[in-house]
Amino acid sequence: MWNGSETRAVAAVLCGLMGAGQALAADKPLPPPLPVEPIGIVETLPREYPASWFLVHDAAFFHMSDGKVWVLDTAEDTVARQVQGTFNVSMIGNIQQSPSRAEIYATETFQTRGTRGERIDVLTIWDQENLSPVAEVVLPQGKRFMGLPERDALLLLNDDRWLAVANFSPAASVTLVDLEERKIIGDIGTPGCVLTYPAGKRGFSSLCADGRFLSTELAEDGSVVAQVRTDAFFDSDDSPIFERPAYVGDMAYFPTFAGEVIPVDVSGKVARVGEPWHLVPEAEREQGWAPGGIGITGEDDLGRFYVLMHPDATDGSHNGGGAEVWIYNPEKQTRVARIALREWGLSLAVSRGPEPKLLVTNPVNMSLELYDAQSGDFLKTIPDLGQNTPLMLFGAR
Amino acid sequence: MNFFDKVFEQRSRQLAQRSSRRGLLKGLGAMLVGGASIPLLPVARAAGAEGAGRPVEEGDPSSCDYWRYCAIDGFLCDCCGGSANTCPPGTEMSPVTWIGTCHNPADGRNYVISYNDCCGKSSCGACLCMRDEGDRPVYRPDKTNDLNWCLGTSSVTYHCSTAIVVGVAFDD
Repeated sequence: MWNGSETRAVAAVLCGLMGAGQALAADKPLPPPLPVEPIGIVETLPREYPASWFLVHDAAFFHMSDGKVWVLDTAEDTVARQVQGTFNVSMIGNIQQSPSRAEIYATETFQTRGTRGERIDVLTIWDQENLSPVAEVVLPQGKRFMGLPERDALLLLNDDRWLAVANFSPAASVTLVDLEERKIIGDIGTPGCVLTYPAGKRGFSSLCADGRFLSTELAEDGSVVAQVRTDAFFDSDDSPIFERPAYVGDMAYFPTFAGEVIPVDVSGKVARVGEPWHLVPEAEREQGWAPGGIGITGEDDLGRFYVLMHPDATDGSHNGGGAEVWIYNPEKQTRVARIALREWGLSLAVSRGPEPKLLVTNPVNMSLELYDAQSGDFLKTIPDLGQNTPLMLFGAR
Repeated sequence: MNFFDKVFEQRSRQLAQRSSRRGLLKGLGAMLVGGASIPLLPVARAAGAEGAGRPVEEGDPSSCDYWRYCAIDGFLCDCCGGSANTCPPGTEMSPVTWIGTCHNPADGRNYVISYNDCCGKSSCGACLCMRDEGDRPVYRPDKTNDLNWCLGTSSVTYHCSTAIVVGVAFDD
């Protein structure tokens, strides 16, 4: 232990050293001061989003009035670089992007006192460059589809001039919106049938409880020309299908609970249902592989589609996600790759372009994981955006 | 139980307990809406089906394993100030629901369970339970829990889910 005189001596030496340091600093010229910065600058985004960007829809299951979409650049390696911006989607809405109009459409619901009060349903129109709500269309009250996010609850048609908005109140219908005029063209009843799948240039199909499609053909003014019900092609009790298809060209591929896929030609005015084929190679069927999750399908620009798969499927496992993503060549009706996920997956999306990347929601900790969709290599985890429940992912178009 | 069973069970439990999802709504759907539709269901009312003795059931209504929750996907009202068949104070029970058929191990019967949501306050946040047995996609609204079933209520805000016995299920 030091005595008092020793302590004072050490303090004197330290003070001397500090004084010398200050003298040296004074001899060195200071750099110029920081320039005065303008106040009020707000960032903007490119009109066309790069292929490495994704839209990450956090439905905020624990606080639904505060849903949010992240615009995310997965090519970057830090959160500061990955997050390009956000926009809100209130009360588990759905979104649809129109790259040709550089807009993103979102169904939202608000109440005048937050969790209570008068309800208003709107279609909010966000512009891609500013992520600002540039317009809104007030929807018929109390009936827009509200549930776990669906890719097929909003459909662009008529060369992106119209948007079909799925309703469920629980009566099923579709509200047709003119995106040029920002106004409603009309409501179309789809009794017993929900959601909006493509049907030619100016129509849509809905999926029915009795295992059929209801295809609606529209005239140039948006009025109904015809509604046609196809033959039943599945049994919703005994052989259910997922309502979440992948799209390759003019074909939609609907996975079934049992592990098959049903191809549907959506290029015509009426859905044309093809012959199912099995997603699981015969030698592996004893392992009970089947699709599962929320965003369970995706597609790339190489003509392939993706399905989130889990083994040992049981009654009730169809929403739980999967351990692997299987990739298919639909022309050859064969699996061309399988990617074993590092963590369990709940939803997936695939980026556009010649070098597709696969983004997967990990439901264990709600991080996002990126894979090279050609090699299957794991690339990175994106854990810390502040996301709560990113239930639906979209590759930027 | 093989490796995949364990993985799936573990992931499912983690998903149910920590993550985000629940297929939002419950109900009978467009063709089975409201109390007036109950007689159309394939059930025999429990009150008329009982014989001698007292009805029995077992289990913890705050546990996801509770027999009535076989097809549920949501926050258990029992953990939110309500119970398996009542809503928490100040909420409103949706008259429109979806149904499941669950086996009561205590008496060996199958029962039709109505999963009425309680609405008007934000997500309860406790006891998230996802079992999904018999659940179907939204094209079968009477069997889907993926919709927000706070329909026909003064508020659209989902809070939690009940599991109410509405009758003994008929055998096929």
